[in-house]
Amino acid sequence: MEDYKFLFKVVLVGNAGVGKTCLVRRFTQGLFPPGQGATIGVDFMIKTVEVDGEKVKLQIWDTAGQERFRSITQSYYRSAHALILVYDISCQPTFDCLPDWLREIEEYANNKVLRILVGNKTDREDREIPRHIGEDFAQRHGMYFLETSAKEAENVERLFMEIAVELMEQAKCKELPKYDGSLGPINGKTTSVGDSGCCLRS
Amino acid sequence: MSFVKCCFESGEGHDFLDSFVQKCTDPGCCCGCCSALRPRYKRLVDNIFPASPQDGLVKSNMEKLTFYSLSSPEKLDRIGEYLFQKASRDIYRRRHGFVIIAMEAMDQLLLACHSQTLNLFVESFLKMVQKLLESTDPQLQILATQSFVRFANIEEDTPSYHRRYDFFVSKFSAMCHSNHSDAATRDKIRLAGIQGLQGVIRKTVSDDLVENIWEAQHMDKIVPSLLYNMQTAEKYETVSCMETDTRDGAEESPPRLAEACLRELVGRASFGHIRSVLRPVLTHFDRHELWVPNDFAVHTFKIIMFSIQAQYSYSVVEALMQHLDAAGPGASDPRSRTRVRAARAAVLSNIVAIAAGDSVGPSVLEIINNLLTNLRASVARDSEKETDEKLYQEALINALGEFADHLPDFQKIDIMMFIISKVPSSQRGKSTKADAMLQTILLKSLLKVGTTYKTTELSKAFPAAFLEALLRVSGASEPGTRALLQRILHTLLDRHSNAPLLHTPTVDYAELGLTVEKCSRQDLIFVSKHGYAIFSSLYDGLQLESNTLENVEAIYTTLALLCIELASEETVCDILQLILAVQQSALSNPVLSVAGQCQLQAVVVSLTALLPHVMPLMKLDDYIRKIIDSRSSEAPHLLPPLRREYPQLAPADMPSSLPYLMIDQMAVCECLKASGVESARLQAASPYAGGATLSLAHRHSWVEAGAAQGRDSLADITAGPVLEPDSANSSPGVQRHPMQAESVSLEALRRAAGGPTEAEKREAERRKATLNNAFRTAPFQHLREITQPKYEIKDKLEEIFNSISEEPLLPASGSCSPGGQTKSYQQHVPAYTKYFPELFLY
Repeated sequence: MEDYKFLFKVVLVGNAGVGKTCLVRRFTQGLFPPGQGATIGVDFMIKTVEVDGEKVKLQIWDTAGQERFRSITQSYYRSAHALILVYDISCQPTFDCLPDWLREIEEYANNKVLRILVGNKTDREDREIPRHIGEDFAQRHGMYFLETSAKEAENVERLFMEIAVELMEQAKCKELPKYDGSLGPINGKTTSVGDSGCCLRS
Repeated sequence: MSFVKCCFESGEGHDFLDSFVQKCTDPGCCCGCCSALRPRYKRLVDNIFPASPQDGLVKSNMEKLTFYSLSSPEKLDRIGEYLFQKASRDIYRRRHGFVIIAMEAMDQLLLACHSQTLNLFVESFLKMVQKLLESTDPQLQILATQSFVRFANIEEDTPSYHRRYDFFVSKFSAMCHSNHSDAATRDKIRLAGIQGLQGVIRKTVSDDLVENIWEAQHMDKIVPSLLYNMQTAEKYETVSCMETDTRDGAEESPPRLAEACLRELVGRASFGHIRSVLRPVLTHFDRHELWVPNDFAVHTFKIIMFSIQAQYSYSVVEALMQHLDAAGPGASDPRSRTRVRAARAAVLSNIVAIAAGDSVGPSVLEIINNLLTNLRASVARDSEKETDEKLYQEALINALGEFADHLPDFQKIDIMMFIISKVPSSQRGKSTKADAMLQTILLKSLLKVGTTYKTTELSKAFPAAFLEALLRVSGASEPGTRALLQRILHTLLDRHSNAPLLHTPTVDYAELGLTVEKCSRQDLIFVSKHGYAIFSSLYDGLQLESNTLENVEAIYTTLALLCIELASEETVCDILQLILAVQQSALSNPVLSVAGQCQLQAVVVSLTALLPHVMPLMKLDDYIRKIIDSRSSEAPHLLPPLRREYPQLAPADMPSSLPYLMIDQMAVCECLKASGVESARLQAASPYAGGATLSLAHRHSWVEAGAAQGRDSLADITAGPVLEPDSANSSPGVQRHPMQAESVSLEALRRAAGGPTEAEKREAERRKATLNNAFRTAPFQHLREITQPKYEIKDKLEEIFNSISEEPLLPASGSCSPGGQTKSYQQHVPAYTKYFPELFLY
């Protein structure tokens, strides 16, 4: 039912095969699809969570990691409230690409966007990037950091919940108009933090 | 019932109750027990739902609801809101049957509504659509899209300021990329996505008050989504017409629908918006590496060109041209980059023709200039011989040709003038390799444009400035460049498609089946004005040491075409004069190799043999047949076909030792007279002595300029080449003319019998010409060598110059001839003073 107070757009980015789709699936559907094929373009999921007794709707856009879809995925950064940058802890190249991703985010996303660095696949034995390296990187670039495992459902819930909490706090201190059942924003328009800011950027 | 109704219909209690009931959304509370207390619209809405979803919408009750909403439209927003709430609940509980029914009801209400009241309802309608799109069930998503499309097709007349579509654009684009495991479902979702995008476009494009669909954030989603679907088609059939709907199954496969949608989008784009469509297109091709191979790119750009509003089509060309050099993702590898560039240029050449029809004015030259700039950049890059770079240049030249092909003829001339003005002049100073290459490339482009031009009148095909520029290039130092230039002349001269037949010299014209037409008045005026410049440049072209077989043949073709195109009694003399001069030069020009001499002789005989075929000159035909026959028995190397190498010739077989096999000027005169052609001009000595061997560039351009500007002679005295017979006799090392008295040919004897004095007089003149020629054509060193041992050259020259300066005062000798002859005199005086300034220093 349409009784959520906030709607936030979350976009997942990162190299192909780091487990973006699996994270989303785990969170929204509670399952881990084993033979998940590569995402094409963009995928979309929705999940409503409760924070402090208030319902928060998360619109999750799961982007393709493949280079060739980069142009279309970039167009989704702009309206995002939170960007989850994912790498694979057992695959050094996915970590090495992070600066490139940050550059893209700088270029295309709203500058006030909440950025979270996620090292996925902690269930893997063959870890290549130690936790502190990721933490350092996140700290240096002013990002939140979390290590997750979509397979073991470790930290996945926490990841999205923290995003919801953080975004809600942001929204609350800015006192932006909230969604309210009968008068609320119309059709496709979402109540959002920094929505006006991102429009100006275009 | 009626009591309750009247209670609700009147008074304030209504609102109170209404809001009270609204709060109580749980059906369990209200459904059974207090349905009588619920507002009427809620009861009507509740009633349209059957007990079991399989039964479908309750039609009769739906009619009631429709009637109600029409009679009291102010209730529409509440009806919509209520329906939406019900449907949300059903989605949450996964009762999809009821959701479908709710959506159907909303659709029906939407269609039934009057447009003025629509706005009230649309909000909840779109919320409903969004809700359905948010679900993961493909069936609901497709359903939502269908409803949305229906809505999009309704024309609203009230503005909707606050409506935004960014979610729809995002979601529909995501659907276009669906990767559902089941292929059939996947296609359905993708189709729905495309339809949805189409709907958004329709809805927003005509309404300025809603979202600007052309903004980058939308176009970056819409355009790649459409392209992604189009590129999955197995084969690309480009249909030029706009009516895509006429094709079967346009609604069934994602690629086709995507194509139709792209057409619609491009077709609706105004000038300012074209760029925002093109930019994502170009980026998409870069990202997906669709330039090589470029089938799809060609397909897409053709679609764009066909659907774009015609007046904007050149902006597509412009955009693509600017993108030619842009770096793609694989920019690190220069090789692949060149390949991509070549592929882009190929796309360009494919679409440029479509734009040409509608281009006007400055945009045409803009495009041409841009192409030329790209060519120049490519030449500058081309340090190592890269085949891809070559392909790129080819493609650009093709593009140029294609473009020019579709322009009206008068613009083609402008373009050719424009191109030739860009050709670097290699004559002044030292030409670099890049310059020469650029020259070649530009000439190739010129040739391409030239081939598309259909010559009707020579004077229109060759405006004076253009002709001048062309002839200037004809003296280029590169043999390849010169050959190219001749080919340009061929294509511009050849009005009757004779050029392929005349590719190589021959004497048997009868079997070629040449098309000959009488030349027009305008052409005659043209040739009398510019003929000398052309002939003289061709003559010079034949005298060059660096000539290859190709050059000689090319000039032959040009001459042959001139013969055919300008066949008339007025011109035949000029042509014959040139032919004889060439024959003469083949004997006297010291820079020519033996092979070169033989080639020229063969060209001469071929050209002479051609004349009787374009004009009724029976005698000449007989005469030339005789020469050909005797040559074929005695000196086959003096007949076509031309060869690159001639076997070592015995001294007796050298052309200069076979004077009786040469074409004789007198005999030719006789033949012309016999055919009733005025041959007086032919009898005057040849004006073609502007040999091109010494300081070619300088001299050539001078002669050129004088001739092309058509400076007419002030003096009407005609003078042949001016050297006194004495001086000729005393000049050593100059070849004797073959037609000396000693020669024993039949003609010579006949002439001797006919009038010895007259013949001698002519011969003297001829000798003058020979000597003159020798001085003009032989290298300076050569002249010095042959003169030094015996004479004090200074004295000799003084003598010569004195004679020259006296010449104008002398009475006209020989026959009187107008036109070219007078010019030849004009050139003589400065010919020595200007061309041999070194001699004064000596």
